[in-house]
Amino acid sequence: MASPPPPPPRWVVELNSPPVARTKSTIPDPPGYTGASSGNKKQIASSKGEVRKAPTTEEMDTLKLKKAWEVALAPVKQLPMTAIMMYMSGNSLQIFSIMMVVMAFKNPFMGLMATNQAFEKFESEGTRGNLLAVKGVYVAMQLLALALGVWKVNGMGLLPTTRSDWLAWEVARDPMETAIPAF
Amino acid sequence: MRLHINHFCLTLASIVPSTLAVYSDEAYSVDYHHELLGLPLPHTTFFHRPRKEEKASLLYTLSDLGVLGAVNPGLGKIVWRQFLAGYEGASESGFLRPIEGENILVSAIGSRVDAWDALNGRTAWGTAFKGTVRDLEVMENAAGSTDATDVLALFQEDGKADLRRLKGTNGDVVWEFKDGSSDIPLQVSTNVQSVFVVSLHGTVGSYNLKVTTLDPVTGKRTNEYTLNTKADVHAPEDVLLVGANSAASIIAWTDKTLKTLKVNVLGKSGDIQSLALKEADGAITNVSLHAPHLVQSQPHFLVHSHSAVANRADVFHIDLTSGSIKKAYDLPKLPGQGSISVSSVDANVYFTRLTQDEAIVVSSASHGILGRWPLKLKEYRGSFVHGATEVVQRTADTYAIRSAVVTTDQDWVLVRNGVEAWVRTEGLSGAVAAAWAELPESESLIQNLEVEAESNPVSSYIHRVNRHVNDLQSLPDYLQRLPQRFLSSILPPAIIGPKAGVLVRDSFGFNKLVIVATQRGRIYGLDAGNDGTVVWSTRAFSQPAGKLWDVTGMWVENLKGTTTIRGGEGEYIIVNTTSGEKIETVPPGSWPVVTGTALVDSPSGKWLLPIGANGDPGEIPQEWAPKDTIVVQCDDGEVRGLKFEVTGAKSAPIVTWRFNPPEGQKIVDVISRPTNYDPVASIGRVLGDRTVLYKYLNTNIALVTATSAHDSTATFYLIDTISGGVLHSATHAGVDTTQPIASVITENWFIYSLWADISSDTNNSGDSKGYQLVISEMYESNIPNDRGPQGAEANSSSLEPSDIPNADPALPHVISESFLIPEAISHMSVTQTRQGISIRQVLCTLASSGAIVGIPKSILDPRRPVGRDPTTAEMEEGLFRYTPVIDFDPKIILTHKREVIGIKDVIAAPAVLESTSLVFAYGVDIFGTRVAPSAAFDILGKGFNKLSLVATVLALWVGVVVLAPMVRRKQINGRWMSA
Repeated sequence: MASPPPPPPRWVVELNSPPVARTKSTIPDPPGYTGASSGNKKQIASSKGEVRKAPTTEEMDTLKLKKAWEVALAPVKQLPMTAIMMYMSGNSLQIFSIMMVVMAFKNPFMGLMATNQAFEKFESEGTRGNLLAVKGVYVAMQLLALALGVWKVNGMGLLPTTRSDWLAWEVARDPMETAIPAF
Repeated sequence: MRLHINHFCLTLASIVPSTLAVYSDEAYSVDYHHELLGLPLPHTTFFHRPRKEEKASLLYTLSDLGVLGAVNPGLGKIVWRQFLAGYEGASESGFLRPIEGENILVSAIGSRVDAWDALNGRTAWGTAFKGTVRDLEVMENAAGSTDATDVLALFQEDGKADLRRLKGTNGDVVWEFKDGSSDIPLQVSTNVQSVFVVSLHGTVGSYNLKVTTLDPVTGKRTNEYTLNTKADVHAPEDVLLVGANSAASIIAWTDKTLKTLKVNVLGKSGDIQSLALKEADGAITNVSLHAPHLVQSQPHFLVHSHSAVANRADVFHIDLTSGSIKKAYDLPKLPGQGSISVSSVDANVYFTRLTQDEAIVVSSASHGILGRWPLKLKEYRGSFVHGATEVVQRTADTYAIRSAVVTTDQDWVLVRNGVEAWVRTEGLSGAVAAAWAELPESESLIQNLEVEAESNPVSSYIHRVNRHVNDLQSLPDYLQRLPQRFLSSILPPAIIGPKAGVLVRDSFGFNKLVIVATQRGRIYGLDAGNDGTVVWSTRAFSQPAGKLWDVTGMWVENLKGTTTIRGGEGEYIIVNTTSGEKIETVPPGSWPVVTGTALVDSPSGKWLLPIGANGDPGEIPQEWAPKDTIVVQCDDGEVRGLKFEVTGAKSAPIVTWRFNPPEGQKIVDVISRPTNYDPVASIGRVLGDRTVLYKYLNTNIALVTATSAHDSTATFYLIDTISGGVLHSATHAGVDTTQPIASVITENWFIYSLWADISSDTNNSGDSKGYQLVISEMYESNIPNDRGPQGAEANSSSLEPSDIPNADPALPHVISESFLIPEAISHMSVTQTRQGISIRQVLCTLASSGAIVGIPKSILDPRRPVGRDPTTAEMEEGLFRYTPVIDFDPKIILTHKREVIGIKDVIAAPAVLESTSLVFAYGVDIFGTRVAPSAAFDILGKGFNKLSLVATVLALWVGVVVLAPMVRRKQINGRWMSA
């Protein structure tokens, strides 16, 4: 008589049907606790949205342009801070100043590379014309940040701007006569 | 602060503090030293017991180079040395006498008489007199006297004899005897009763011998007689022996034909005894006398006569009562050269005879051979010339001997009972010229590479593949050597044992040969990579006694593997650099006199151009004529530029310019930049603000030192050797012109040292008294970033400096600074590195302290700020505040504890490693070392423990192998257990 097979071990059961993730808590939130659940936010937003009237396209374009200007001028806002930090960090070769110089070059370059991406979300039929000027300003601002980096590198003496940097390529004069001493 | 990426400043700023030292683990391991004495002379070499109560004796010698030394006869190591020839006026060979039974040696050389502690070489007393010493003799004390033994010193002063008896305790003069006549004082001899002064009387060429007898207590003349030599004595050398046994002093000379020996027992006037000399297989060429020196010894002497092929000896006895001399016995004729030495123990006198095959010892009393030993030398070292022997009587009839013999190969060999105990290569001393030589690479490789370079690509490729296939044959051999190579690189060398005696290049370039020529006409090849061991030696030319080989030029041709050495009398020799085998020899006298040489480039290749008398090279064939200007110095000191002009098939030298200093000045030295190798890494000097001062890099310059003894000035002229124009000059007042003035010029700077006093005629507060070292650097312009009048021109010409006709040459801007140094520098040179990137060291030889110091160039920098601290920019340049005194800190002394004496010249050569320069100093001693002026930045130091590195890696590997399975098991277990 064949006895029924033993019930599969617990791990097999759990492997086949993983236990459901436990619900956070069954205890209700305390009074006054707004909670971070997304569901609530959506509810709020939707409830507000119901109140506000949808903006018109012109309004949206103005808004987008405004936002775009903000993006374009963002790099220049950091410049004073960066300049102060660079000044404070000194011109010696240390890990901090090296990192600063690397960042000073990397950020503008990355910014310039990603010019179009930065303004992609502000692109629309109405803003296209104005956006060109904004982009121009953006590029100028990035170049300004780059110039700061160059200034710093120059301060550190890494730019080959002096005579001594090219000394290795200068050669001694070739004498046209030779004298052989015999003493 | 600005950053410098220039290596120059990096080197200066970061490495300077660590350069100033010979590390203790490198001392005695990177350097080597041949502590030499010079060739021992027969009459100043002897065994002597420094302590009467102890049996141990030391071997003393005063060599031909004027070095007094004591050698441990057991080991052959030097116990102490004194360089007596370092004294002024000590050019001739000296005299050395032991005081029997006392711990004192007395030496006389030049104008000095000194007494030395025999055990440790310290001065007991020393005095200098006027005149030159001619002989030295120890007085005989009356029996039972306990006073210190006095010495007699015979001087020649203004051509007249002057005998002084000096007190044995302090060297004070007891009495003085002046011979009024102008006879040449020869020797002095003494016995207990009287003192004899022997002098040459008469005219040059036919001297008679005059014997003056003095009273030893008062120094008054008691008797005088003349011996008629019948024109047999022409020169002091013709008198064979004066003195000998003090009981019966004799004087001996031979007739012209070396047929008879004439002997006079001193004190017996008119009694000349003739003793016939027997021939020994041909006419006798050389006769020498050997006699004991002790007062208690029996009055016997031995006459040793040499013919060209054999030698024999006769022993004579003197009858003390009658003064007659009769022959006792003879030592049989033996082929070849041999040495006979005399030794006396109490009254017994022993003669030891060494020939090529055996050593025998006989008593002077009878001809019975007391001991006989077959001679066992490790290798043939030439025949024996002379020796000193110590005989010890072990039992009634067994004897032991040890003889220190000089051989014709100029080795000093100690033979103990016929067996070679040690050898000192004393012939290596007195080096007059040396040159570095590369070890040749395997010749076949060079030839193969040449073949491949010339043929077309396909065939050269096939050739190359074939070569590599052939190379496979040496693979098993290579694999066999691999463990050895690996072990030798990680284990300390003490475990591995000494290197095998093979000459191979090493990857660091430390293995080089040094070819050394000595004043006695021998050439040695030393292995600088293997503690300077002698690889080969050969006799170039046999020098007559008293004549020194004047080597005027030495040229090592590395490609051919040959070395050419030119001598002063037109002789030259070409030898194989690695084996010493003679390839070509031209004996002296076959060519005109040579005063100097120049390595010139001619249409027929490079060769060593001999410069004849008065700086005239003479006419040479057109195809051998160099197109460059040759700079020579005339006999009167004038410096000349010569150019060869073709006249038919010959080329004759034409003087293009002459340089003479103003009236009253005498040129004492002319130096130029190193001709063989002088690389310049950077043509400018980077300043703190990153501007550049351009160096004045003219290869055709010479520094002329001219002194005026009358005005006490020394003037240094920097001249252009193409045009002969003076580029710069500096005059120092109050200079002692008798003190050594050393100078060196390289790259864009020159250094000289002199002794200067505060000059009375100027109120210059900058003057100071003492030894000074002056450094001057030359720049193209005093303005940074300016290349001077020649601007950016790629070529420079001394004759036509610019396109404007008759323009003045561009003069260098010279900055100088002077330093005070503690002692005189007798010679200066600079280190050489492969690229010239490492800073230089100025190698200064200090004769008085027997040391060589390497002063880093960074200390000798004329731009060091005076009287103020350096600014930030100057600090970055590596400048620090000027300090007027340079102390020869023990840390910069390259010879550290070693004492090197008589150094004439120091030569440096680059290694393959940029950091390292090989240094070789020669003179009386030989010293070599490796220096790293900017620290050894490209090689692991000795402190780097390769063994522990390998052990760590192995331990980590073992750890990983062991731990990896354990960790894996633990991780799996962890999975299982946690659930």
